[in-house]
Amino acid sequence: MTVSAHNPGLPPIIELNSVIKEFGSYRAVDKLSFTVAKGEIVALLGRTGAGKTTVLNLIMGTLAPDSGRVMVAGFDPFRQFSALKGKLAVSFQTDRLLPWRTAVENAELGLLIQGKPKDQARTIASGWLARVNLAGAENKYTHELSGGMRQRVSLARALAVDPELVLLDESFSQLDHVTSHELRQDFCAVAREYGKTCLLVTHRLDDAIEMADRVIVLGPGGHVKLELSLREAATDETVVGRTRSQIAAALGEDTGKQQQNEREE
Amino acid sequence: MVVVVICLLGAMEVSSWYVAEYIMPSPLKVARAIVALATTDYTHVLITLGRLCLAMLFAMTAGIILGLVMGLFGVLRSFIKALVVIDTGIPALSWILLAVFWFKNPEVRIFFILAMILLPFYALTIYDGIRGLPRDLLDMIESFRANRTQVLRYLIIPHLVPYVLTTTKAVVGYAIRMVIFAELVASAVGVGSRMGLAQSTFRMDQVLAWTFFLIVLNISLQAIVAGIEKLGLHWRPEATVR
Repeated sequence: MTVSAHNPGLPPIIELNSVIKEFGSYRAVDKLSFTVAKGEIVALLGRTGAGKTTVLNLIMGTLAPDSGRVMVAGFDPFRQFSALKGKLAVSFQTDRLLPWRTAVENAELGLLIQGKPKDQARTIASGWLARVNLAGAENKYTHELSGGMRQRVSLARALAVDPELVLLDESFSQLDHVTSHELRQDFCAVAREYGKTCLLVTHRLDDAIEMADRVIVLGPGGHVKLELSLREAATDETVVGRTRSQIAAALGEDTGKQQQNEREE
Repeated sequence: MVVVVICLLGAMEVSSWYVAEYIMPSPLKVARAIVALATTDYTHVLITLGRLCLAMLFAMTAGIILGLVMGLFGVLRSFIKALVVIDTGIPALSWILLAVFWFKNPEVRIFFILAMILLPFYALTIYDGIRGLPRDLLDMIESFRANRTQVLRYLIIPHLVPYVLTTTKAVVGYAIRMVIFAELVASAVGVGSRMGLAQSTFRMDQVLAWTFFLIVLNISLQAIVAGIEKLGLHWRPEATVR
């Protein structure tokens, strides 16, 4: 049995081994290897063009690697696409809610696709909406919800299927600083309470430092430039500062500039 | 609306003073014809309405199926699209004349004419609707590993509802004109055939009375479709432009 390099003893939920992906002559991912263990929250950081979206698509199973191996929860996500039904959920950069469905109808979508009976799906979805602080908004349509509320519905929809793995594709980057911070806090609390494995794909340092147990920085050409555990950093301000500088340097940015950019966003 | 109707009635009245009754009868004479036809010949309106609804329902169903096939099955797309595009180029009169030669039964003739004329509207709109399907919503639903039936049920069909309703609203008036035209040539019953009879017996009051029924029919059908639209698309916010 393969074990995670960062959590020996725990089987990896995500395993990438010497993965290469090319688009024509452009190599988007170059011999990329990393693992994410069960219950871990890992941030995949990188600047535009670093191959973050390609890695996400490889893990989602919408792309096949040219060489190397991608395994998710013990399955090849591309060749065994349907085998991951209910095991994987994605929260995207935009909420991607269906406008003709109410908040609760959107939240129950994944459950209905899984084949859960309608009343059971409704109960579970309502519970998750309450868990992301949306009790009372179940019957509102998407246009009646704020951006933050819509993203909460999107997270509830992802979590409701009780997936082994949650992929977060820049899920908080479209929101204002305060709403984004609140949502990150709420999501982390829920994810840790339920022991969810999460891979957060982002270009924002704040998101990564606040949420992740571990940060993987992708360099240009899609290879691991830096890999850092953040568990000790969470409690020590000096370590946080040093870690931030280290990651920013790996991203090729000035820390102050990065913080300023994030504040402006 | 009221002002326009009053103006039209005034113009009819004044015209009727100067020309023969078979050219322009007075509004009062037309009103009498309306009352008379409403009590004696209302079955013709019901027959026309029945033909119209049946043909529209078929054209809608077949058009949706063809549109879905065009949108979802690449292999058949160009073949069906070519057939539909050729159909849109065939004049209504050609279908009417062909139907008269091909079918003996007047009901089959009228059904065929209407179906062939209305079907491409639905097929092409549905095809356009599928092409306009937001890619991000498709990615979202596929991320849950939905199968093709589930994608159709939870995403494609609800996404296409506004397209179907808009097409229905747009073709109702046209379909009424076509059913009358078809009845005039291909049947002995229905409003179209009665209008032909009225014209051949110089009963302009009856021609206008039947026209009145057709206007009422069009407004009623438009109101029904608008009601269904309001019910079916209640989730859609009304945009207001200042």
